[in-house]
Amino acid sequence: MDGLDLLKKDWKKREASLPHLSYDQIYQMLWKRSSSIVKWIFVISIVEFLFWALLSVIFSDKHQWELLEEYNMTTEVIIISVLSYLITFYFIYCFYRNYRKISSTDNAKLLMKNILKTRKTVKRYIAFIIISNILVVLLTTYEFISYHASNSEITEPENYSFNLKNWLFMFAIIFAGLLILSGLLLLFYRVVYGILLRRLNRNYKELKKLEI
Amino acid sequence: MNKELEHQFVTNLEKHQNIAHKICRIYTNDQDSHNDLFQEITIQLWKAYPKFRGEAKFSTWMYRVALNTAITLYRKKKRSIPTQDFDTVDFKIKAEEYDDETEQQLKVMYSAIQELNDIEKALVFLYLEDKNYRDISETLGITEVNARVKMNRVKTKLKNILNP
Repeated sequence: MDGLDLLKKDWKKREASLPHLSYDQIYQMLWKRSSSIVKWIFVISIVEFLFWALLSVIFSDKHQWELLEEYNMTTEVIIISVLSYLITFYFIYCFYRNYRKISSTDNAKLLMKNILKTRKTVKRYIAFIIISNILVVLLTTYEFISYHASNSEITEPENYSFNLKNWLFMFAIIFAGLLILSGLLLLFYRVVYGILLRRLNRNYKELKKLEI
Repeated sequence: MNKELEHQFVTNLEKHQNIAHKICRIYTNDQDSHNDLFQEITIQLWKAYPKFRGEAKFSTWMYRVALNTAITLYRKKKRSIPTQDFDTVDFKIKAEEYDDETEQQLKVMYSAIQELNDIEKALVFLYLEDKNYRDISETLGITEVNARVKMNRVKTKLKNILNP
């Protein structure tokens, strides 16, 4: 007899030895907390959205506004802020829409695809935040330089060379800061999502592989 | 209305609970994990139940949700206390029904299944449950041809384990 046929026969026989739960035991389970991966992804994603949104609120304090007014950048900042909020709301809307699409009654591949799509939205949002912040830093630096260039007279050239050193130092700090931030983010993603999504990614790849 | 729905659901699940237990048997190795997965399957089924319109049979619908829970949604809990191997428990009950050789063969087969990946386990499970390739392809979201190809590969894999 073929191994699998033997197994099939045994499989049916074993039904008798399966546990049997009573109506009440099953009823009680309905109210237990789910520990599904989707719930975890939802919680972590919301925390991420809040974290990044809070971060931008913290950084836009009163002092910053005064400084921006001094450099005549208020209009640009208002435009950028409005745009940034609109884009954030758009991402949250996309996240929610994708989240609602997750259904355990879909086929396995579609279910995995929809879960990963939700994650992708959050990843894109974070990429957007990082890229837009880099752009803002560059724009501010540019405006800062041009403001100084047009409003200051160089009377003592030896002071200017000192300033240049300072500029370089500032760029080095910005660069190092960005590097550390990216490193930390990468580490966070490796650890949190590596653990959470390893199995899902592996199974999704396995199903995708079958399509080739 | 809600009470009625709860009653309807629990009655259906009580009747068809074997499906969930069999999935737990394939995807877990010990009794605690079995119970955990069974509970998560119950929760997921209950959450999806309002969308169940009765177009399909409860059991057909249950195969899909329960397998999705085992493959995708269920998050294994870490255990610090090792529990008794599930298959060993089972074999003690069943041992007297087979001769030594068959018993050994089955033992090897069951442990070989434990070595398969989640998708292969799903294929084997649906095969053992007498599902046709159309059902298998619809449950997993792959084409019928690919389900057949993959199933043949798994069969060969298991055969090779059995007759090295």
